[in-house]
Amino acid sequence: MKRKNLLQSFSASRRELLRRSAALAGGIAAASALPRAALAARENELTVYCWEGYNSDKVLDPFRTEFDCDVRAQGLISDPDAVNQLRAGDTRIWDVINLNNSWGRRQLYPENLIVPLDQERFRPHWDMMLPEFKWPYHWAMSEDGKELLGNIQRFGPSGMNVDTNVISVEMAEDQGYNLILEDDFAGKYAVLKYDDWAIMHTALAAGFSPFRKLTEDEIGRFEQVMRKVITNAAFVSDDMNAIALGVINGSISASFPGSVYTVSTARFDGNPHFTCVVPKNGPAELGGKNGVCWMELTSLVNNPQLSPRGADFLEYVLRPEVCKNVAFAEGTFNPVAQMGDPRVMEQFSTEELDAFQWDRMPELMARCADFDDIPDYPKLHAIFTTALREKGV
Amino acid sequence: MAQATGIVTITPGQSARAAPEPSGWRAWLRQPGVLTALPMALLMLTGFVAPLLLVVAFAFMPPQSFSILQPPTLANFQEIFANSFYRSFLASLYLAAATTLICMVVCYPVAYAMVRVFGRVAGVLALLITAPLFVADNLRLVGWMLFLVKGGVLSGALQAWFGIATDSMLYTVSATLFGLVYTYLPFMLFPMIMGIAMVPLEMREAAFDLGATRWQVLKEVDIPLAMPGILIGALMTFILAAGALSEPRILGGSSVVMIAQDIQNEFTFAQNWPKGSALSVLMILVAGVLAVTLLRRIDLDGIFGRR
Amino acid sequence: MVTTEAAAQPILQLRAIEKVFDQFAAVDRITLDIQEGEFFTIVGPSGSGKTTMVRMLVGMDKPTRGDILLRGRRINDVPANRRPTCMVFQSLALFPHRTVGQNIEFPLKIRGVDPALRKKRALELLAQLRLPDHYYNKAVTQCSGGERQRVALARALAFDPEILFFDEPLSALDYKLRKVLEKELKDIHRQTGKTFVYITHSLEEAMVMSDRIGVMNRGRFVQVGTPNEIYGSPTTRFVSEFMGEVNILDVTVGPDGTATDDVTGARYLVPASAGAGPCSLVIRPESLRFVAGPGQAQNVVTGTVYNEYLLGSRVQYQIRVGEKQVLLLENLRDQRYEGDLDSPVTAGWDTGDSMIFPKGLLQ
Repeated sequence: MKRKNLLQSFSASRRELLRRSAALAGGIAAASALPRAALAARENELTVYCWEGYNSDKVLDPFRTEFDCDVRAQGLISDPDAVNQLRAGDTRIWDVINLNNSWGRRQLYPENLIVPLDQERFRPHWDMMLPEFKWPYHWAMSEDGKELLGNIQRFGPSGMNVDTNVISVEMAEDQGYNLILEDDFAGKYAVLKYDDWAIMHTALAAGFSPFRKLTEDEIGRFEQVMRKVITNAAFVSDDMNAIALGVINGSISASFPGSVYTVSTARFDGNPHFTCVVPKNGPAELGGKNGVCWMELTSLVNNPQLSPRGADFLEYVLRPEVCKNVAFAEGTFNPVAQMGDPRVMEQFSTEELDAFQWDRMPELMARCADFDDIPDYPKLHAIFTTALREKGV
Repeated sequence: MAQATGIVTITPGQSARAAPEPSGWRAWLRQPGVLTALPMALLMLTGFVAPLLLVVAFAFMPPQSFSILQPPTLANFQEIFANSFYRSFLASLYLAAATTLICMVVCYPVAYAMVRVFGRVAGVLALLITAPLFVADNLRLVGWMLFLVKGGVLSGALQAWFGIATDSMLYTVSATLFGLVYTYLPFMLFPMIMGIAMVPLEMREAAFDLGATRWQVLKEVDIPLAMPGILIGALMTFILAAGALSEPRILGGSSVVMIAQDIQNEFTFAQNWPKGSALSVLMILVAGVLAVTLLRRIDLDGIFGRR
Repeated sequence: MVTTEAAAQPILQLRAIEKVFDQFAAVDRITLDIQEGEFFTIVGPSGSGKTTMVRMLVGMDKPTRGDILLRGRRINDVPANRRPTCMVFQSLALFPHRTVGQNIEFPLKIRGVDPALRKKRALELLAQLRLPDHYYNKAVTQCSGGERQRVALARALAFDPEILFFDEPLSALDYKLRKVLEKELKDIHRQTGKTFVYITHSLEEAMVMSDRIGVMNRGRFVQVGTPNEIYGSPTTRFVSEFMGEVNILDVTVGPDGTATDDVTGARYLVPASAGAGPCSLVIRPESLRFVAGPGQAQNVVTGTVYNEYLLGSRVQYQIRVGEKQVLLLENLRDQRYEGDLDSPVTAGWDTGDSMIFPKGLLQ
């Protein structure tokens, strides 16, 4: 689960802000050096458009030094936004793009916005992967299975987050999203306003998969559940820290939806009772899966003047110590697919592993369907925003 | 002959003026006023008018599309009117009006004191009031969130010092309103200060001398004469507050959805630029109509005392 | 002249009033009585303290020391809005957001007078000040300078004050309009019979309107008297100089009572009032006249006509005497000088038309 908008990216924390300002200053400095770099035929410059983490100095600085390269990185604010920008011609600006799993295979590659990777160079790195991401991994390959479209690194499961001091993990797993929908539970949870995730989980709570066309009846059922979810919520926020704060001070005991991504920093800060749960007994059409997991795909943009450093960067982030820095970026902590390699595993302490619930990760992932296109998204999103607007009455 | 050459040297300047104006727009362009206004005009055109036109154009494009080169349609507006968007408009207008009213009441005494009472301290005070503006409003609002949240600064202090247990003061309409008042206070205060400073001291003395009490001076002279400043402040506060985004999100927990949130939603999560544009156009219309009627109500020339 | 006959008690009495700002006495222990119905003018240059004084008299400032008595009652601490006096400001201070009618009615509205009565009174005042009825609804900002003066006066009269103060209300107007309004003001004074206290920096204005004039300098009255007294026998050089353009010659009066010009060495007969020593000899331009030769006037000087200024009904001439002395001579227009500029000329004056003051007296 990802940060989804610009404003939110300013509201996280002070450290976050400082880091962003530094990145911005770096960006400006890099931009001012651009004309010079352009003369050098882009040998010494690189642009990265990514979810937060890859744009942290912890990740970028060693690369800048080692490759004597100006790196300009910008955090993106939503998958569709970024895709639409590439469609609008921003392929000339970026070298590296980092998006959630389904976009590369379904849209970017068919629309010629990204270029396949050199398999000879990258295939060996797939040996580092966890079992569920073994070669040839579905989301990294083109539809015909011939081309490698990018590397998979960070990933995470999503269900709901609960305060285990109030609700036991077993109870949450067994009762599932019905727990939230109980009238007794009104005012005891917050809705995490990452719109597409709220929509996917509401569909799951309503008992069907969001990843196909829905019938009129299903949409009616979706609306019913969505209105209840919104009306009964204590508050709606796109700030995971505000929600964590609510759980810590006891004013709420759950977050819907909730994911390892949004709970890991609070856990690392000494609140292990705040936990991500993926309920059992999901819709049969998803094989009983009742959560959604995301995997990030990092690809090379179809830039007419693609920097040769792009592929270097893709390889660089697979180094064990960089894997750790990507996983433990400031603001959010997530597992990475390269944790199948002991050299990567040994980078993490027990506390760090516990922050992203590593011990339960296989179980959580097993209960999640892969993030995918939502065919009825415009309709469902309209229902979501209408429910929000009409919450008052 | 010496005289003749003298005349010849003078002629260029004279003939330029005497000769029939060369094709209209050239002469027009040559005016110093037009020349000096040119950079500003260009800036306004590219930076203000062009994006606005783009938004207007997008408002008439088919839903969920990303190009303005399609046959225009009213579908977005139909969809907006068929849906409950009026609620966000009403919420925005109501909250903006309440914010404006509260800001007026709070700011007037402060502004008055800064103009008439504090003297030199007023400069320091103004600086203190503007200082927070150097910090992004989102960050300041997060500060307020930490202040107001249960177990935060305020409830923690109440608990520790007075043993009063309080629940969260966040995520309500009142919290939203508080955030709006806090954020937009300076936009009311400074025009108001200018308005009050514009009231000639003699005007007040004259009223006082003619027997008016303090209250009557306030009612009959101070407020009417400071009205341009008050109205400009009110207009700015109202329009800014009506377009507020962060306050209902961060402090209000979306307990009430304001129109800017809907617009932002359409542009980002919904990826429905035409509908977002249509909502923007409607909001601009509402704000524009309001501004025009308000400014027309008062005869600015009359108030400024054009003599 | 509307002078007092029986006013046993002056309407306004100033008892050694003093206003000190930062150890500087803007008004320095002034004692003065103003009679009921009098038109009293305080005249002085800017910075002389006249505005400070009137602000104390209307109640906008308090005296540092001394008392102000209104009909014998001490009013030092009564604020302006509770005094039965009011003022026409230099800026007029008309309310720009109100119509002419609303401005005039303002003091009545403040008192809660019934709207119909207010309007009746406002229309009366418009008529009294020779403004047409339809001005009642006119915006003040659309009135001309003279009309605005009348509106301001009407507003003050609507207040029905016991004393009406004026703080240089005509100073912003052109000469011709000022002359008209000076006379109108005097008419109004007669019609209403109220006590007027008027402040101006123009002695000429004071002369036209006043019953009595107080000439102020450096926070004190230099001379208080009727216009005739002030014009005819100014007691100091300051007063005479203040009356407008005058010729001032630095002279030394000898033991025989005649004066020697410090610049040209010429000898003049002077009035006997001054003692021996350095003095200022003051001659008004209109007291100087062209003469055919010595003997045609008690004192004569010879010089050249350097310039001629036409002043409407009168003509002024600049006469250069030697290298350093310049005298002004004023004639009626029908007595214009016929000769060429720069040609030699003799001018003279009679001793009785000149004034002599010891040097250094209140310069």
